[in-house]
Amino acid sequence: MTGPGARSLEERADVGLRARFLSIATAWFGLVTVALIAAPLALRDRLPDPVATHWGASGAPDNSMPFLVSLLFQVGLWTLLAGGALGFAFVNAAMFRRRTSRMALGAALGGAGLFFPGLQIVTLMANLDAPHWRQADDLGWGALLAVAGLVLGGWLGALAARPGPDERPEPSAVPTRRVPLRPGQRAVWVSSVSSGPLTALSGSVLAVGGGLAVLALIGGDSALWIPATITFLAGLLALTFSSVRVQIAEEGVVLFYGPLRLPRKHIPIERVERAWSERRFPSDVGGWGIRGLPGAVTVMIRGGECLVVGYVSGGRFAVSIDDAESGAALLNTLVDRAATGPSTR
Amino acid sequence: MLLTLDLNDPRPLHEQVAEAIRRAVAEGSYAPGDRLPPARDLAAALGINANTVLRALRDLRDEGVLEFRRGRGVTVLSRPNPRSVIEEKLRSLLDEAVQYGYRHDDVIELIRELS
Repeated sequence: MTGPGARSLEERADVGLRARFLSIATAWFGLVTVALIAAPLALRDRLPDPVATHWGASGAPDNSMPFLVSLLFQVGLWTLLAGGALGFAFVNAAMFRRRTSRMALGAALGGAGLFFPGLQIVTLMANLDAPHWRQADDLGWGALLAVAGLVLGGWLGALAARPGPDERPEPSAVPTRRVPLRPGQRAVWVSSVSSGPLTALSGSVLAVGGGLAVLALIGGDSALWIPATITFLAGLLALTFSSVRVQIAEEGVVLFYGPLRLPRKHIPIERVERAWSERRFPSDVGGWGIRGLPGAVTVMIRGGECLVVGYVSGGRFAVSIDDAESGAALLNTLVDRAATGPSTR
Repeated sequence: MLLTLDLNDPRPLHEQVAEAIRRAVAEGSYAPGDRLPPARDLAAALGINANTVLRALRDLRDEGVLEFRRGRGVTVLSRPNPRSVIEEKLRSLLDEAVQYGYRHDDVIELIRELS
């Protein structure tokens, strides 16, 4: 795959991306923090102490905080959130290769960075020139300002983090391996993968659910039925996503979940453009199970070899599976065969 | 597991399935100790009866290629005898040669010329 030279180059690029992101994000953090501290201090003479910090449903203020506490509270929350995001970015240089990860982090920082000042402006406006916090104005539509700040900041932050590479080391061409197939031959590929820890976990959850059901039955405690059902269903759900089987034949790709082989997902051969094998890990796709958005879904049972199906429409579908390379070879062969027309049938 | 069946092959289906599995194991995508997909899944994919696949698996167990273990399903015991793999390849070569009008002697002659 990649040699040691290529890898270090890749890592250096990650560090460069991270440094750029961190410097901009730190500047943004400083700017927002200064604004959060400076604005209330400048208006301190015109504010009551304590200041109103919470408003009830009626619109009248119903809670207050001493001026300094309220200031520290807002700045502290912002620092905690932004610091967490920055710390996360600092230890995860590799995540900057992915556009969606960058945009999510940018959106969090941008959104929070406008939400807190928005909240502060609203609070200050309501408290301004009030002799006592109980006489502070109601928030009115001003509360929407903070929400608008959140949305706008999130959008701008995501936009700012967008430029740069979007790493998905995709083969530029279809893998060349094909399965030699004569007319009149039927070729199929069957493979499966299961996760031991997930199976054990779902098994124990199922057992707990079953035990609760038995208790409910014997003890006659009907209140137990609800947790029993919920636990049992959760175990069943976990069991369904603890293993997966994939079958590739002339009709296309069929994916079966769990020991019941239900639900299933069918990808007709006409929708497939090409297929390849790729190594993906839960850390790349955000965990186990069905991950991602429609058009970029990964069914992650265990890290490692994955079969990736590229749709004609441009989308991607990946599933962690053993022996994915053979599957991709057969799928590409069948796609070629389907494209050359029904004469080969 | 990649399996190929010839729809025009006159031999019994279970023999063809056994050959296909033998070839898949011989090609190395399944190493000794690896577990085969359940017979039921293979049958469903091939569009044939599960009993046919089971019969093929039993034949391969008798050959010493596969091992049936309780709770572990069907696993690969050892790589099949190279001779049987080559035999299968030759058989399909001869079948193809016949389709093009070559007699078996012609094929033997061709092999001599090439080697």
